[in-house]
Amino acid sequence: MSTAFLVVILALIWAGISGNFSGLNLVFGGLIGGVAVLVLREALVGPRAFRRARRMLSLAVLFLYELMVSAVRVAIVVVRPDMSNAVRPAIVAVPLTVTSDAEITLLANMITLTPGTLSVDVSADKSVLYVHALHMVDRDAMIADIANGFEKKIREAFE
Amino acid sequence: MTPEIFIEWAALISLVLLGLALLVSLVRIVIGPTLSDRILALDLLTVVAMGFVGAIAVRTGLWLFLDIAIALALLGFLATVALARYILLRGAGTQTAAGENS
Amino acid sequence: MLVGLELYIGGVLLLLGAAFTLLAAIGVVRLPDLYTRMHAASKAGAVGGGLILIAVAVLSQDASVSMRAVIGVVFLLLTTPVSAHLLARASYLSGYKPCSQTLIDELASNNEQNPAT
Repeated sequence: MSTAFLVVILALIWAGISGNFSGLNLVFGGLIGGVAVLVLREALVGPRAFRRARRMLSLAVLFLYELMVSAVRVAIVVVRPDMSNAVRPAIVAVPLTVTSDAEITLLANMITLTPGTLSVDVSADKSVLYVHALHMVDRDAMIADIANGFEKKIREAFE
Repeated sequence: MTPEIFIEWAALISLVLLGLALLVSLVRIVIGPTLSDRILALDLLTVVAMGFVGAIAVRTGLWLFLDIAIALALLGFLATVALARYILLRGAGTQTAAGENS
Repeated sequence: MLVGLELYIGGVLLLLGAAFTLLAAIGVVRLPDLYTRMHAASKAGAVGGGLILIAVAVLSQDASVSMRAVIGVVFLLLTTPVSAHLLARASYLSGYKPCSQTLIDELASNNEQNPAT
């Protein structure tokens, strides 16, 4: 049931991208969508798929909001005339609780695009993420911020 | 002010701002004390150029320019990855200490 | 008035995107060292470029163009942090030290303990 629904949506997206809603093109999009669903069958089935999708969505919304905040903050720092006072850079080691490569990659990418932080390196045993902060006020507060914000959400989405 | 005139002015002002951004990032490419700074500025330059192409698409109404913008973003990403790997392979000791421009 | 509302929104998005991109460029020139500059280039740059693409998506009023623009935004948001991270790591490993204002550098102390990494 939901598989057929997915194929229809993929066919419509295909038609939208190629800008052609003719019958033949819709059928072609449906064929490609069917193959994609067939290939990704393992990842899609299961009763938890929808709950997981909702958590992914909430993660994406949080991420977009944080991205806008971070851009505005960087912009404010940049135009301040007394810029050297506003900048207190530091490289901090943040212990990781997520373990898989996909989760670490997602976390590192999100940290780079959120307020005041930028991931620099991951230790060889994947247990520590080195984060560069543009304006560090309190080291422990920053680590707690990352652990309770994105890391928790990512763990929920991937559980 | 009709929407059409507003769009025309918005596109024009955006082109001016993006042109300034091109010049400013060019300053960092010229003075950048190390190779890393220049690569960073070059990365930003491709993003600015992408925005420029997008603004031109809005101004002319030729939406095909969008494909050029996306291709430019792809090119900028690949160039940065290649140059970062070059820095990594070239090894330590060749870069000077951090450039301070007070 | 209501007819042209999406055009006004698109124009404002375009102006915002251009302004953010200019601020990113100013940040790259003004900030003291590579790592702080990277904050400006990756965040303000990605948001600026993304807003311009969204403006194109809103203004084109064409499903295929809008779709491609949205895919372009997703692509931009995926690649910008990857290239920033890669450049930061490569620079650090090749010996680019953070500027003297930097308060703590825990990566440096880690590398002294096991220089092989």
